[in-house]
Amino acid sequence: MATLLATLPKHDQTTRCISAWAKKALDEARKKGFTVFELADKRACRREFESMVKKHKPAFVFLNGHGNAVAVGGNENKVLVQAGENENILKDTVTYALSCQSAKVLGEESVKAGARAYIGYKEDFIFLFDEEKRTRPEDDKLAGLFLEPSNQIAVSLIKGRTAHDSHLNGKKYFARNMQKMLTSQTSKADTTTLRYLYWNMSNLACHGDGNATV
Amino acid sequence: MEEYNKEIIDLVVARLQTLPEGVGVSIGSEGDYSKQELISHVEHRDAVGKKIIDAEMGFLRALKEGNFYGDLIGNLA
Repeated sequence: MATLLATLPKHDQTTRCISAWAKKALDEARKKGFTVFELADKRACRREFESMVKKHKPAFVFLNGHGNAVAVGGNENKVLVQAGENENILKDTVTYALSCQSAKVLGEESVKAGARAYIGYKEDFIFLFDEEKRTRPEDDKLAGLFLEPSNQIAVSLIKGRTAHDSHLNGKKYFARNMQKMLTSQTSKADTTTLRYLYWNMSNLACHGDGNATV
Repeated sequence: MEEYNKEIIDLVVARLQTLPEGVGVSIGSEGDYSKQELISHVEHRDAVGKKIIDAEMGFLRALKEGNFYGDLIGNLA
């Protein structure tokens, strides 16, 4: 059965929130029989990450953390993967990065270095959250409007869909949430999500072999 | 980097005013911000402000040019 390696830093509000939601996708992976390895908190560092990839050769790498065009970070934003340094660590993997901008350069460079496919965002991933749910981000329905579509990408891969289809499924869920905002009675907070749901949907990209599966 | 005139700044600030209180906005590695903090960044046209201007204006342009509904329906298919 396939192996999944996830990074789950939790050093600020954004990483606490995305990591809490990512765990829901990891639960789905376990149900589907995946062997799941989590690098949480301080273990989300380059040394552990490289060691786990080399040892377990995950088919699916799920990166959660801050990033930029050339790199994705882990705990305290320290670099895990960087174009021009260690992008070949993603060789033979399908990677989904819930991280800012990494599809701009790192995605393409990792594919050139042998990654099968890389799904990520070309610009910053922007989301709203409920200040009252700061300590319980997994219960934050406002953040969930953004993070459920993100999880759908991971879940689609887990269910055996191709990288291309999984990234389209993510876009579909962003669009579905926008459609809900436009066609039903929603709160003001929910309605203001439209602009940022559209932004994230538009910037979601897939590099590499669109037919790759995990 | 694109320069933004006063009309654009005023428009983006007006849109940010519609964000409810008690909501935080996470902008990647830049951090998370309240409504008033975001408005201040936009008015100062700094890096955070420019990202928000790009997101807001991108959405408004997509509405104006008719791409928004095409993208929405296209991705729902």
